[in-house]
Amino acid sequence: MNFDVRLVLEVIGMLLYATFMGFIFMGIERKAMARIQRRVGPPIYQPIIDTLKLLGKKESISHGFIYDFGPIFALGASITALLFLPLANFQLFSSNADLIVVAYLLEVPMLGIMLGAMSSGNPYSALGVQRGLLTMVAMQLPYGLAIIAIVQHFGTFKLGEIVALQQVHGWSILVPALLLAMIVFDIVFQAMIGLEPFDIITAPAEISMGPMLEYGGKQAAILFTQHAVQLFAETAFFAILFLGGASNLLELLIKQIAVLFIAIFVASIYPRFTIDQAAKFFWKWPTIIGIIAVLLTV
Amino acid sequence: MINEVPIILFVPIVAGILAWVLDVKGVRELIGLAGAVIPVAYLIKVYPTVADGKSITYALTLGSFNMSFTLNTMTWYFAIIGAVLGLTMALGMVSTAKSGYNWLFALMSFTAVLGVFTAQDFVSFFLFWELMTFASFMMVLKYNRHASLKYFILSVIGAYAMLLGIALVYARTGALDFATISQVFAKDAQLTGLSGMGYHATLTFSRTDMILLFTFFLTAFGVKAGAFPLHVWAPDAYSETDQSYTTFFSGVLSKAGVYGIFYVLLMMMGAKLYFSLGTFHGHPLFLYIIAWIGAITVVVASFLAVLQEDLRKLLAYSSVGQVGYILLAIGTGTALGFSGALFHVLSHAIFKGLFWLVTAAVILRTGKTRFEDFGGLAEKMPITFAMGLVAVLSLAGIPPMAGFASKWLIYEAAIQAHMPLVAGAIFLGSALAFAYVVRFLYSLWFGQRPSDLDDVKEAPAPLLVGMGILGILNIVFGIAPGLVVEYINKLFRKPVITGNYYKMITPNGTYNALSVTLVLIAGIVIAGLLYVYGARARKVPVTDTYQSGNPVTEEYNLSIRRNFYRPLAEALDFWLKYSWDRFYERLGQLSEDFADVLRKSVYNGNVQSYSWYLAIVLLILALWGVL
Amino acid sequence: MSEKKNDDFISYELQEFKLFEPLFRWARKKSLWIVAFCTGCGGIEMPPLATARYDFERFGIMPNPAPRMGDLFLITGYVTPKTLKRIIITYELMQDPKYIMIHGSCPINGGVYWDSYNVVKQFDKYLPVDVAIAGCMPRAEAVMDGIMEIMRKIEDGTADSWKRYRENYEYYRKNQDELFGEGWREKEARRWLAWI
Repeated sequence: MNFDVRLVLEVIGMLLYATFMGFIFMGIERKAMARIQRRVGPPIYQPIIDTLKLLGKKESISHGFIYDFGPIFALGASITALLFLPLANFQLFSSNADLIVVAYLLEVPMLGIMLGAMSSGNPYSALGVQRGLLTMVAMQLPYGLAIIAIVQHFGTFKLGEIVALQQVHGWSILVPALLLAMIVFDIVFQAMIGLEPFDIITAPAEISMGPMLEYGGKQAAILFTQHAVQLFAETAFFAILFLGGASNLLELLIKQIAVLFIAIFVASIYPRFTIDQAAKFFWKWPTIIGIIAVLLTV
Repeated sequence: MINEVPIILFVPIVAGILAWVLDVKGVRELIGLAGAVIPVAYLIKVYPTVADGKSITYALTLGSFNMSFTLNTMTWYFAIIGAVLGLTMALGMVSTAKSGYNWLFALMSFTAVLGVFTAQDFVSFFLFWELMTFASFMMVLKYNRHASLKYFILSVIGAYAMLLGIALVYARTGALDFATISQVFAKDAQLTGLSGMGYHATLTFSRTDMILLFTFFLTAFGVKAGAFPLHVWAPDAYSETDQSYTTFFSGVLSKAGVYGIFYVLLMMMGAKLYFSLGTFHGHPLFLYIIAWIGAITVVVASFLAVLQEDLRKLLAYSSVGQVGYILLAIGTGTALGFSGALFHVLSHAIFKGLFWLVTAAVILRTGKTRFEDFGGLAEKMPITFAMGLVAVLSLAGIPPMAGFASKWLIYEAAIQAHMPLVAGAIFLGSALAFAYVVRFLYSLWFGQRPSDLDDVKEAPAPLLVGMGILGILNIVFGIAPGLVVEYINKLFRKPVITGNYYKMITPNGTYNALSVTLVLIAGIVIAGLLYVYGARARKVPVTDTYQSGNPVTEEYNLSIRRNFYRPLAEALDFWLKYSWDRFYERLGQLSEDFADVLRKSVYNGNVQSYSWYLAIVLLILALWGVL
Repeated sequence: MSEKKNDDFISYELQEFKLFEPLFRWARKKSLWIVAFCTGCGGIEMPPLATARYDFERFGIMPNPAPRMGDLFLITGYVTPKTLKRIIITYELMQDPKYIMIHGSCPINGGVYWDSYNVVKQFDKYLPVDVAIAGCMPRAEAVMDGIMEIMRKIEDGTADSWKRYRENYEYYRKNQDELFGEGWREKEARRWLAWI
């Protein structure tokens, strides 16, 4: 394997860009929520300040090795997931992995957070872990069906090819079956980025912050960075699968923000589900729509 | 040159008998270990031969039966998995087995499994199959009578089914060796294909024959593999025995069922079944049925695994679920699917073997099995915990692990075979796998430690060595899946999956394990830099947590121990009302009651009534005109 | 929460970020996360602050349920010994730098409860305070003003209650023990665990 300077520079640049934009997305989320509630809202770069503050805490605690390793592993996995996506005209490592690998990598950070949260020994964190995993169990079936519909329609797993095919034949959502898949995926997406009505995991008013509860200082800063990268990667994933990918970063950004705003609007209207309601919901309508979508694309 | 096959086959059982006869602490362990090492060594020795596509055959004449055993590319693959798992089992048993009895039957099943994998005719296949059932039954019987009887009854049903199948094959072909039978089936398949085009031929096997054969053999192998709805024995039997032995039991014995389906149903009768049973929406019907059985097994067993309260039961259900993946992959009916199935046979054996060894260590050191009694063991058993973590990552399918490589192949195969709903079951099953491994992690290793576990020690050295072997294999085959894939390609005599050691390329997908690993490590390093920059962390005790401002002491254990996934149980309460296990239990109870009624009313020990029965029978016979 | 833990709690190394300290100081000022632990009647003054009328999120202030991430502890009204125990425990979970703002007359001098047997009259005997707002109740504008004061103090480095707590830990500890009796943490823990 020869050392590719250009690739390394691209990777570093993309990481910085994605982290920054991820924070801005989080800022947009808070700002938009505030505007919907007729408030002024924080500055759009507020999450960056928050993360800096957390990193600048003068004290830090640890419940053992796994407690520290969990967030680090989560951030590492999020970065990995990001680098295997074809982001606009940057292919990065995307020729080395396909849809299934990326879909899995996007779930790995969850396990990192869970690991860390569990090792703190706090029952609220454990409840958060339980809720997180059950949300995942609930959403995985419709999520899988949406992905299967995409693959069956395009006949390939390679994200690069899926984007290329969409550039030629038009966006996925113009195909009726994939429009259904998009609807399913969008519902699941709400749970993936942890917004209402599926913010069951953190549930601020019920179980304090769920898995995040015992984290402060630098570990929390790492988790915030992880969330930023993850948000960027997941919105990009959505845009790649359903909105035709992008040929440059600006186009990608516009599509990502469009995806984000749908999520924010839904989130600001709906209250939170309880976990068994969420499971029953996911196994009813999204699954039925997903099954219709996959049967249409067979 | 001496033939390696009989050595590989019979060394374990001889060692087992010796260990049982001598039964001296220290000696029996050495003999048993030697009995497990020798097959592995010889199998590695013959690797160059089988890798070239040659085979080593050993024939044995027993009375009027000719038994033959062959090591070829296909059987070697299963045999080496069995032998490595057998070695780790022996290492584990050095620490956990308390008597020669365990050694005898564990090593007997070792021999039996190798015999099943290498047998080349139905006589030896069936004999070793029954030996395997008997040995594992004896292992369970010592620990739990009820579980062993459940296992035995279902196994007997399977054995009868297989015997009927073999009898049918023998009646039609007059042969018992695999080579002849395969030829007959192949020829018959051609004829069936022709007859479909209007050409009339006398077929050896009719359509009804094939349906019967399929049912018989699927039942026989399904019982062993633990396929739904015949899986009910597995959770009890896997948990109620020496946990080191379960490494072998769940890792390899269940693979005998998979091997049977693969070898007998697919390689021997596949073409014939395809032509006789026809297709369903473009899929061969018989494979479609297997795929759905696999999918249902995955979902049902995984859901049940999530809801278990006992460590061993959780892993047992998870084993059943993982074998479901293999069946599902076979059911896709493509070369890619078969490769995925074969790879998953390997990776399931190594990660689930690792899981059971970890369990054996934990149970050995704590003497507890229920989740509510565990907690905070990570500090006490760090190496065991690290190995458990490797197993968890592999089972959950985290990318640079063997479990992911094989699961990825199964995903690709199932989606490419256009079986969307079956593929959906894998997605659901993998999320459930996440859920139950986290239960395993949380309850055992994290949280507050019950005070009676304060003097738990690290696992003994032999167990750690066994875990180390399997842990390293998990990582090696995860980073270099090409090692396995290359061998599997040899089985098909064509490159199904291309790529190099680190990279797998299927027709439509690609996965480079090395680059994923490197990027993941780079990502972790970047995150680690952030961590290092922050304030130095000080260690705090587990009681220093936020409980809405209330103070905490060690006296009350706040970790959630019971009903961890209660909301899931609530969401599923409608489905949980039905259980195949309870159905079978009730069926068993009914037949017992019926027999009881029969015994009390008919066989009542009264001589007079017996003479009446005789009279009635004679009367009937007379009326029928016999007398 | 044994005796030993509190020694650990006091003796730890302070991380000094030499180069980036001004940046972090600015970030601390602009991102005060409130530990949502409202005592007494002042809690009702929080909703107008958080909602459209005054909207403290403009300044990056946000209520956060997890004390480990919190920065600002608002004591919103009178404090009874029972509450004070929880306040102390939660305060010690928060990570430095952390700030306390007390609200209304009661925590300052007892206010209308000046002769009550069951109200803590002088809060800063037990925990150090950065900013105190007088009034019964202080209106939202006054609370806003107090928060501004804290932000100003953080900027020029005079918001140092967390430092004072460490330096004078014996003093605070003595006062706490005088009020609750020795070993109150263990006693309290046993008391509420009985309810589970």
